[in-house]
Amino acid sequence: MLTTIVTSSHLLVITLLILPILTTLNPSPVPPPWATSQVKTAVKLAFFVSLAPLIIFLNEGTEAIVTNWAWMNTLTFDINLSFKFDHYSIIFVPIALYVTWAILEFASWYMHADPQMNRFFKYLLTFLIAMIVLVSANNMFQFFIGWEGVGIMSFLLIGWWYGRTDANTAALQAVIYNRVGDIGLILTMAWLATNLNSWEMQHMFTASKDMNLTLPLMGLILAATGKSAQFGLHPWLPSAMEGPTPVSALLHSSTMVVAGIFLLIRLNPLMENNQMALTTCLCLGALTTLFTATCALTQNDIKKIVAFSTSSQLGLMMVTIGLNQPQLAFLHICTHAFFKAMLFLCSGSIIHSLNDEQDIRKMGGMHRLAPFTSTCLTIGSLALTGTPFLAGFFSKDAIIEAMNTSHLNAWALALTLLATSFTAVYSLRVVFFVSMGHPRFLPLSPLNENNPAVISPLKRLAWGSIIAGLLITSNLTPLKTPIMTMHPALKLSALIVTILGLLVALELASMTSKQVKVSPALSPHHFSNMLGYFPMITHRATPKVGLILGQTMASQTVDQTWLEKAGPKMITSAQLPLISTSSNMQQGSIKAYLSLFFMTLCLATLLINSL
Amino acid sequence: MGAHLARRYITETDTEPDPKKKFEFGPQVGLPDRNEREMVATQEQMNLAQLPVEQRDYCAHHLLKLMKCKRDNWPAFLSCKHERHDWDYCQNQDYLMRMKEYERERRLQLRKKRLAVQPEAA
Repeated sequence: MLTTIVTSSHLLVITLLILPILTTLNPSPVPPPWATSQVKTAVKLAFFVSLAPLIIFLNEGTEAIVTNWAWMNTLTFDINLSFKFDHYSIIFVPIALYVTWAILEFASWYMHADPQMNRFFKYLLTFLIAMIVLVSANNMFQFFIGWEGVGIMSFLLIGWWYGRTDANTAALQAVIYNRVGDIGLILTMAWLATNLNSWEMQHMFTASKDMNLTLPLMGLILAATGKSAQFGLHPWLPSAMEGPTPVSALLHSSTMVVAGIFLLIRLNPLMENNQMALTTCLCLGALTTLFTATCALTQNDIKKIVAFSTSSQLGLMMVTIGLNQPQLAFLHICTHAFFKAMLFLCSGSIIHSLNDEQDIRKMGGMHRLAPFTSTCLTIGSLALTGTPFLAGFFSKDAIIEAMNTSHLNAWALALTLLATSFTAVYSLRVVFFVSMGHPRFLPLSPLNENNPAVISPLKRLAWGSIIAGLLITSNLTPLKTPIMTMHPALKLSALIVTILGLLVALELASMTSKQVKVSPALSPHHFSNMLGYFPMITHRATPKVGLILGQTMASQTVDQTWLEKAGPKMITSAQLPLISTSSNMQQGSIKAYLSLFFMTLCLATLLINSL
Repeated sequence: MGAHLARRYITETDTEPDPKKKFEFGPQVGLPDRNEREMVATQEQMNLAQLPVEQRDYCAHHLLKLMKCKRDNWPAFLSCKHERHDWDYCQNQDYLMRMKEYERERRLQLRKKRLAVQPEAA
């Protein structure tokens, strides 16, 4: 009976989320309060409904796999509609709905001046449905539907203000980088279909027991690299900040970007025994977390800093997967959703209050002017840096402890610890520039945070950032035994490294009031500010190579070769000498004709004599 | 903290044991009354609890008690501290025992080397 409640609740959740979209499918336009009255209410209700399976799971440990409908079944291959309600999806769905509820309420304030607010909410709702399909999928096809769905909605939402060139470029960037990742996912799906003859998770896990899975796992890692903005396919995430802040808060911090990591968590039984895949994840994650943390140090746009922070935490999640600890990665996904969404909402509140100013060099003193928002910003930053006993501590510290006590790549460990200290540096930088000091903006700014549509979501997410870590770790027994025995220095390494970063940042911040130049003319600063020169190089080199290849093909291959060297012109050039020689010979020269006549006469005489 | 690495790669490269390989000296060398450790949790119990393979170690009985405590006491999720501590303590003792076994192997290797050198010196 309890499994019935679990599955029915999930069905109810999906129905509640689809209903508002169905009400828009008639030609007449929806009334203006549709966004708040229907969409936000639907998400709120869906959240409370999704708590039922969560409570049943925590109480009884009920997990379920449901196969509903034989969708496309052939003699040899089945594709069904099947849902997996294991502890990953049962815990993630309420968290995603809680965060989305807060973001929708915030968006009703943030986007109130937008004439297309209803369509914005519809897009967000469609995204949410795709995400829930993704996390509850029990086969690769359904997973892929959710995967592509979130990718498309990301494109539409990043390019929301499509009149702006940068927004269009960013949306295109997101789609193209995700597509490169999709190549990996489709490769893996094809390999799995041909070799294991099934796309259902359980079949894949049992059928692949002793096989060499390196190729499909590399495909999966490529997919995660694209979707979760790992190094190599990462530039789309900071560019995605062109979209409105609710989009950044929902998609590009809490839910969509974790889809890649979620894929690796779901398919972890395939990865457990393959050391090469695990090492790739470890090194790629360590590189990503350090590189993006370095880039975040010198950015001046508040949203870009938070975006790079997201990318850095995604790298940390990848490191955790590389350590063969999927449950810790999932814990970090859950806690990260709360404080990162809160950081984005605080940024959005500050941006709107300062008349759409996004440069932190032009903010300041928000501590007195917007106390609640800067408090939440501070709480979010503290949770991000892993302050003991806030949400981020339980996941981040556990990850770093697992890394310290593992016998794996020490270089990856060093990079991750350095990235942890950088996290403290740029978090303090944000708090310093935004909340502390004196205002650096004009006095007549529309400062107003005294709106329940702003305060309530921030309050809810602040509560989540404080207690979520404790709640999740207290309620779940770890599936992999954590190693608790280590040297005190290893145990405290995360804290020491964070405090060191904080002290360095404080020292540097105190120097800002003493220096004359605005930004230093140093190469490390340029490297960090220009995002490691990565976008500059790849976004110019790749199209240039393609275009040069196209030009070479068009002009050299088609024009020059087929038309000149192999085709008509070759015939012309071969025939012309013969033609000119023979026409030159018949120029009316008597001597030539006479010599030809005598030569023919001699030849004829010789022939007749020889016969 | 990194002494084992310094010993393995720089100072005592020939005697430092490799933790991934089987130890040369058996567990009863010099300790005749030593018996093999016994698992307290039975296979049936662990199968019923669906424990993953990595968690079926010598502390599994504490883990089973912890899982039962959590199941029985929910929603009072903070009331299983004692069981959790027991499990953690058992894991800690297990870890220390592994460290001691390693140290024992290392000292036996050093003793072997010392005994090999002695007749040559004599």
